[in-house]
Amino acid sequence: MFYENIRSRLVTIASRFPDRNAFCINETFYTYAELWDLIGKIRMQLGEFNVENNRIGLVANDDLHTYASIFAAWLEGMAYVPLHPKQPLERNLEVISQAELLFVLDSGSERVFDSVSTVDTKACESLAPKTDEISVGDDALAYILFTSGSTGKPKGVPITRGNLATFMEVFLATDIVLDETDRCLQCFDLTFDISVQCYLTPLLHGACVYSVPHDQIKFTYVYGLLDDHELTFGVLAPSMVHHLRPYFEEIHLEKLKYCLLVAEATPIDLLQEWFKHIPNARVFNFYGPTEATIYCVSYEAKRHEKLKEANGLLAIGRPFEGTDAVILDENSQIAGRGVKGEMYVSGNQVTTGYWKNPEKNAEAFKILEFKGKSRIFYKTGDLCMEDVDGDILYYGRLDYQVKIQGYRIELGEIEFHAREAIGGKNAVAFVYEAEGGSKQIALALETVSFDEKKVIGFLNTKLPAYMLPSKMFNVEKFPLNTSDKVDRKQIAALLTV
Amino acid sequence: MERKEIVHKLTQVFHKTFDTTDLELTDVMTANDVDNWDSLTHMVLIGDVEKEFGIKFKLKELNKMNTVGHLIDMVADKTGRLQVQN
Repeated sequence: MFYENIRSRLVTIASRFPDRNAFCINETFYTYAELWDLIGKIRMQLGEFNVENNRIGLVANDDLHTYASIFAAWLEGMAYVPLHPKQPLERNLEVISQAELLFVLDSGSERVFDSVSTVDTKACESLAPKTDEISVGDDALAYILFTSGSTGKPKGVPITRGNLATFMEVFLATDIVLDETDRCLQCFDLTFDISVQCYLTPLLHGACVYSVPHDQIKFTYVYGLLDDHELTFGVLAPSMVHHLRPYFEEIHLEKLKYCLLVAEATPIDLLQEWFKHIPNARVFNFYGPTEATIYCVSYEAKRHEKLKEANGLLAIGRPFEGTDAVILDENSQIAGRGVKGEMYVSGNQVTTGYWKNPEKNAEAFKILEFKGKSRIFYKTGDLCMEDVDGDILYYGRLDYQVKIQGYRIELGEIEFHAREAIGGKNAVAFVYEAEGGSKQIALALETVSFDEKKVIGFLNTKLPAYMLPSKMFNVEKFPLNTSDKVDRKQIAALLTV
Repeated sequence: MERKEIVHKLTQVFHKTFDTTDLELTDVMTANDVDNWDSLTHMVLIGDVEKEFGIKFKLKELNKMNTVGHLIDMVADKTGRLQVQN
């Protein structure tokens, strides 16, 4: 499947459109011929090393060599493990150690990892490109990404070539049509799986990928790309759209055909405003844990129709073809429509399990009887509900559902009303331990200043007393984590009890 | 407003935003030269500069702003225009 859906397609595209641009990196364009040539040269370079375990580290720089290295690794039958040059050295060393990497590909000038051999991909220029084929099955890995683990140690999510090829096939079946004239945004770190969709989809259509250099201020640069280069396909985290909000009146992106909202929940009031500034774009909300390969559930938000939502968050819609999503109630029974519970997903996009981590696998995967068969499901940790039409509504992480004074509370509901109280700005509610050990609710508001009495007064008209926050504070800008999601842990740490 | 005065005021804003006292602004300075100057603190910085000088930047201007020298020029330009209007 990987061979037909990805490898063969790329070969065809590179030979059909040699002179078209494959990448725009830091305002420099690179053609498919240049990309293909570089892939062949890096393959030649890789062939000189004995990478026995078929896993290779890749320093995620923002240049053509880094992207070419991904394909070179794949064509050589290897999986890549991205290492972000801006992430702490200790974390990268932990990833190198867990993935048992022996070699790291790096196009940068600084050699940073002592424990492995570094292959300087810039040194491949004089080599003759390698073009022969190596046959590798779909069970072989395409990449391993490390996500943050609750124990503080990153955990590896291995994704097979079969997982990735399945994703690519069904993603395109969601009614997204691209061709060689498209210009597509890639603003995600290569250590985050959404980047794979952002570079791979355009390249399989002969389109051009526009990336964001590490040293740029992301939200202004992204806007610059969308506007100056008239991008047609933009994948954005809602937090980025939120950061552009103070400047919405300047934004008018007529050429944008598709806007995909990904990585976190989308507040519908933000989307309703955003619609006006992307007048010709179809908007999709894509949901998916890294464990189920990029995205596995999607919802098209149609501008002239009523949007489905829960607590002000846009619905996530229906599972992809080939993915089964079930919602289990409190008693671990399959919940009927209209009953909230934790979502579990199964199918060919789901990883075979965390990298060498049986303990975590026992927690996160569960065998369920579904449609007359026993199958392995991944436990997403997300609180969802299927509505009467079969669309899935998203309520937030399961751990946002907390018990206070015996009452079950959804923090998302508090946040929904809090956002309304402060004119649509962001709000994060969380539980903290007050003096004496009792659990109470705190509310962080992303605003320069606020009137506490007014906010409480408003919340009082919307929420029962046990849902009112006992502490409130403001943060001028909410911190984001490396995946561009609002970092709730960092916000909670700002509370002074 | 004189450029010197702008640099003095901007230095104070930078010190507050980046929580430091020994940062000396130069025209060629970029986000790479300052600890913690990332996408997020950049937005806080811009907000603080706007408040300090009573001006408002456009997204297009922010997008083209690559050095501290450029920031100083833009503040000078905007505050200059304000004075003319007054």
